[in-house]
Amino acid sequence: MRAAVLAGSIKTGIRIAEEIENLPGVDVFIVVCNVGMRSPLLRWSRELLSTLKSLKWWPLATKGYSYAQQGRLIILHRPLDDATSIERLRALQCDVGLHAANVIYREPTISSFRLGILNAHIGILPKYRGRCVAEWSVLQGDPTGVTVFFIDSGIDTGGRIILREFIPSKGWKRVGALKNMLFGCDACLYRKALEALMQPGVRFDSNDVSMGQRYYLMSKMFSYVVNKVL
Amino acid sequence: MDLETALSASVQLDRREGILRGALLRRRAELRKSWKHLISSECLESLGTIAPEVESFLSGQGSIHDWRPAAPFTWINCDASFLDCLRAISLARKVEYRSSDTSPARLSPLELNKLSNNERLKTLCARYRCPLNIGAASESDVAEELLRQLMVRDRAKLEAGEEFDVDMILLKLNLVGIHAMITRDLRFLDALNYFYELPRRSLRRLRASPRFLAFWLCIYAQLLCTPDW
Repeated sequence: MRAAVLAGSIKTGIRIAEEIENLPGVDVFIVVCNVGMRSPLLRWSRELLSTLKSLKWWPLATKGYSYAQQGRLIILHRPLDDATSIERLRALQCDVGLHAANVIYREPTISSFRLGILNAHIGILPKYRGRCVAEWSVLQGDPTGVTVFFIDSGIDTGGRIILREFIPSKGWKRVGALKNMLFGCDACLYRKALEALMQPGVRFDSNDVSMGQRYYLMSKMFSYVVNKVL
Repeated sequence: MDLETALSASVQLDRREGILRGALLRRRAELRKSWKHLISSECLESLGTIAPEVESFLSGQGSIHDWRPAAPFTWINCDASFLDCLRAISLARKVEYRSSDTSPARLSPLELNKLSNNERLKTLCARYRCPLNIGAASESDVAEELLRQLMVRDRAKLEAGEEFDVDMILLKLNLVGIHAMITRDLRFLDALNYFYELPRRSLRRLRASPRFLAFWLCIYAQLLCTPDW
């Protein structure tokens, strides 16, 4: 199986790639998107700063160099849904894309991957779609966790769910820390999802949107309530 | 679920309700003190005869009215005009209405979005002549669409200081608030929280529509005193 990590930075791409590169039968590529269409100077300064801040700059640089040498590190300069970017994605002939960039995917980008693009959504689908779903789950007394599913061009409406991982909020005192922990589960859950996809006769759960609701940014007042509830 | 887990879940829910209720009442107390920053004296004057009522409602301890009909309803008919009905609801007065077994033809959010701003405003005011109908089950698509527009496009416009249609945004806030009163959906209440928390300079632009602004704050005041979320 060929998988491409669609990342907002080389560092993020490598973090996820490292988790899945040792899976038998998986070829990993890292596609770095230019999120927010930053100028080259700003983009590479941020990249450099984030690498230096991680205190692991040497292993990161070595890994990045190794991926680049093997032709597995693709840097996109144009927007992801630009025709030239889509052509480059198609040329990779990947089965699956792994979402790790703050971008919106349009249909041509999604269909550049044989099976589609996976998203590790920090809420339990189908009940919690949209934004701030970890907070809303806590506020409404529901379990927190992550759902890995194939996206479509809607907001968390893609119909095929690969896995749901219930991760309790117990022990987390601040919602920001809880969310960071949930976001940080993406690499491990993508690995589990790829393992599941490689099983013969893989079956998907349905993401029935009528069983849930779309959530939006949470007010300061409700965020305060969530922090108190935690 | 064993007894211990069930009890712990119930304790957790009681605790959440207590925290939520406390936060809502603190916001109500804050609104009691600060509403005059939003509705200026000129704005209040322009409300005409209803100004004293609005003033006493917002400054008072907060009367509330349970707007949930005793049984699920299909549609509500009333003789009063849209503005009269909205005023009565926002000030927690009695609304004379009759339940009906039939609702008007479905309004799809797609059709609504095809209309110009002016036409959309007229359509919404005509359809929700009795604004309680926004809480009818048949109107959930429209209510969701109004919530989506407020929390995605309109919010972004206000935050960026861009031009926006004051009447339209306030009409949506009023309808979304009434939907929250009837359905007790926290997402709809939180849209009002979110807009109330926007920087004052953004909210001051809403003074261009004093009636809708006053009605919105009165509806919000009622929601903050509503006990059973």
